Amino acid sequence: MKLEISGSEVIAAPVEVLWASLNDPAVLTRCIPGCKRMTETGPDAYMVEMQLRVAAVGGSFEGEIALTDKEPPRRCRISVSGSGSLGHGNGEAHFEISAQDDGHSLLSYSGTGEIGGLVAGVGQRILSSVSKHLIGRFFTALRQQFEPAAQAAGAQR
Amino acid sequence: MSAIAKLRYVSTPRRVREDRRFVAGHGRYVADIKAEGTLHVALVASPHAAARIVSIDASAALAMPGVHHVLTGEELAAGTDPLMNGLDTPEVRRYPLAVGQARYAGEWVAAVVADSRALAEDAAERVRISYEVLPYVLDAERALEPDSTPVHPGHGSNVLLDRTFVWGEVDKHFAESPYELSFRVIWGRSSTVPIETFGVLASWDPWRNMLEVWASIQMPKYSDQIARAVRLPANAVRVHQDVDVGGSYGVKRGIKQTVIVAYLSRRLGRPVRLIEDRLENMRAGDAHGPDRIFDVSVAFNAEGIIRSMKMRALDNVGAYAGRSPFQLGKPVGAIVGPYQIQSVQYRAVSVTTNKAAQEAVRGFGQAPTNYAIETAIDKVAEKLGLDRIEMRRRNFIRKEQFPYLIPSGSTYDSGDYHTVVAKVLDHVQWPALEQERDRLRAKGLLAGIGIAACLEPSGGNSSFEPLLNPKNTTTTWMDSCRINVDLLGDITVTIHTTSSGQGHETLAATVVGEVLEIDPDKIRIMRPDSLTSLPSNSPVGSRMAIMLGGAAFHAAHKLKRKLLRIAGHQFGLAGDQLVYAGGGIAARDGKRKLSWMDLVLIAHRHIHMMPPDTEPGLEASHIYQVPTGGILPTPDGRVQMYPCHSFEFHVILVAIDPDLGKPEIRRYVIGHDCGTVINPHIVKGMTLGGIAHGIGAALLEEFVYDEQGQMITQSFMDYLLPSSHEVPKVEIVHHCTPSPFTVLGQKGSGESGYLGAPAAISGAINDAIRPLGISVGKLPIRISALSDAVAAARAKSSVTS
Repeated sequence: MKLEISGSEVIAAPVEVLWASLNDPAVLTRCIPGCKRMTETGPDAYMVEMQLRVAAVGGSFEGEIALTDKEPPRRCRISVSGSGSLGHGNGEAHFEISAQDDGHSLLSYSGTGEIGGLVAGVGQRILSSVSKHLIGRFFTALRQQFEPAAQAAGAQR
Repeated sequence: MSAIAKLRYVSTPRRVREDRRFVAGHGRYVADIKAEGTLHVALVASPHAAARIVSIDASAALAMPGVHHVLTGEELAAGTDPLMNGLDTPEVRRYPLAVGQARYAGEWVAAVVADSRALAEDAAERVRISYEVLPYVLDAERALEPDSTPVHPGHGSNVLLDRTFVWGEVDKHFAESPYELSFRVIWGRSSTVPIETFGVLASWDPWRNMLEVWASIQMPKYSDQIARAVRLPANAVRVHQDVDVGGSYGVKRGIKQTVIVAYLSRRLGRPVRLIEDRLENMRAGDAHGPDRIFDVSVAFNAEGIIRSMKMRALDNVGAYAGRSPFQLGKPVGAIVGPYQIQSVQYRAVSVTTNKAAQEAVRGFGQAPTNYAIETAIDKVAEKLGLDRIEMRRRNFIRKEQFPYLIPSGSTYDSGDYHTVVAKVLDHVQWPALEQERDRLRAKGLLAGIGIAACLEPSGGNSSFEPLLNPKNTTTTWMDSCRINVDLLGDITVTIHTTSSGQGHETLAATVVGEVLEIDPDKIRIMRPDSLTSLPSNSPVGSRMAIMLGGAAFHAAHKLKRKLLRIAGHQFGLAGDQLVYAGGGIAARDGKRKLSWMDLVLIAHRHIHMMPPDTEPGLEASHIYQVPTGGILPTPDGRVQMYPCHSFEFHVILVAIDPDLGKPEIRRYVIGHDCGTVINPHIVKGMTLGGIAHGIGAALLEEFVYDEQGQMITQSFMDYLLPSSHEVPKVEIVHHCTPSPFTVLGQKGSGESGYLGAPAAISGAINDAIRPLGISVGKLPIRISALSDAVAAARAKSSVTS
């Protein structure tokens, strides 16, 4: 089945800092939901191992991520393809970062993907909402990278 | 028919003996069989509709502790032979695991063997398979085109079968008829969904050279097929038939699963078990039934008398053939339904596609055909402005015409359709039902009455095999029964197949008890393993009341005749001077009498008191040939299919909220005539279950594939089953027209309800939406499709007004 994603998020970090984080496997491993490991396999190429649960099924996913058409620190194309017990998937997204006031950045993204196998069959009805939820988790985790103080204050209240 | 003057046990509402253990939770299913050292299997499935298997890397899986083996299609194909094809299509090779190429999403590509199922599942995730994606075809019409991607390139096309039968003067009848109409209806791919998925345990014993098999099975010639595939003599495969089967309704075929565990058990020297989980079962187990497009034309006159019919049935069997194309063959035996249609042209087309392989489902293709025939009747009535029931009455075969030969060569045994219809109309109070429909309509609901009259061919023969495969010359499909009376006078009856909930123990005990005049509850029923069984087939084709009932009846009579010979020898009297009563035998003059125990003692201990040339002991067996069977089809495809034809007549009332589009069955009445009923509880259970199943096929259940060939209804979240909310109270009106071809006048009932329910529900919904000027011609009629059609029709009518 085909899947489309798009959206934009404001992140409390300057453009360069955000760009650096999005190119840092350690940060991505923390932020991508279910990501167990991310290994650099070449320039702008990574191997990713994930463990996810969608609807009634859970399982593993191993994929390759490649970054292309890079225009630091503003634009990049990211393509993902892989497979695992959950099924197979591939997709491509484009993201763009622009500066906001107060050292914030606006990250806009849009992309399409195709998913097959178990997860497409079992989770099709809820797959687009699951993908939104997973993207939401990614950004929540990403924001936490840049808001340790706010998070600590929140914990104290 | 050898009538028994007065029935003591047959047709009485006796307790079904199997129910006790099932209801109490003490069935003994394949998952309950324990074998020391058993290993467990989980499967790795193809994520693609069609893909070449480039490589399989099992190293990470095999490195896990407790993982014993990862079996690939290549290895299995080297050690086994391909599974049986029903048709003569040798290049459509089917192996239990994909070899070289996967042909549908979900197809099993590798089997992982581990100490536990959980471990096997974890290891299955570590098996890395790289694929090269290939073109695929999903749509049956597309698959029929010569340039479509062949699922099996070696076969050359996707067409497995394309045969046109012409029975009678079809062209002449069409030319002479003042009216004709044509339409298309579609039967969506659905299933029967037993609670228990398929399971099998195989254990190879190298010291006795024996493969032991316990399986949840309902497959004809199961042990023979296993032996052939795993290259063992048939007498080295021992299938234990005393395993309860948690539902089947046709689909428990299990050959590929059994070949996997049989091979693995020999390879690994341990018992190996495979119990499908629900996803394995729904995606690639033997779950899918017919998936069929009907194009029908009928020729008729102003009175609504249908003279001739042309039907094309295009069946999408999925990626492999097996026995599924035969599901186009069985309906030949009732191709005119209960009607006097004089000539028929029937084009049966079977194509492969990249969907899961189709298997047998309850009715073996008859329910879809009945749906097409009944739609024709309704459409002719609508066109002529005739009452739908009157339309059926005019076309019905009449009671006095039986036995009735239909154009395709089958003789219908008996029936009294007009009386069943009259009884049902009397029961429902027809005018009141119409008033109730009109009252619902006045309230703003869409409401309609559905009617279906159809036949259940029963007594399962396999005449469709030689009909559709000229190399197959099978003319028997026997079943058997053996009776043994021990030294203490107790009776043990053996039956020689598994049962999947049809109550065969009750059936056999009732019939033997009836003949011997002994309380059936005192009779023990056993199922020997396949090697100590007499020739039998499996409980398919609505056959066991006729076939096991017939075998038990004849075996009991043989035993009785032996008792009479012993008594006659003692008394010095001829047979006509003896009276058998309650197991004892008296001389007609009343002076001498031998009790059951006297006779047993003579047979077991006193050969000196036996007639000369009589074997000691008390045993009798009978292998029963299908009544009316035994003849090959004619070259133009006329054949006696099944011997008996039960009749059912459905009348239902459906109400639909026009905004929601959800059909609600307000009343369900079925008139049912299956001849002499052996056990009323069993027949009632069959009928109620069949109607529930029919509601699923008509409204809810469908294996849907998306455009990429991914099946998107593989769990019960998306593959919807009827629940207590959808299944109404069912009122059954009985009638009995005994069959002249069976021992007690019985006919089959194993498919009752299901064979007419989808047609009746479709008819009711079409009656309900007719005022909107729309109709639906595809099953299942999903709520979403119905509400969209209703909304579009209302929008259109508000625009035009």
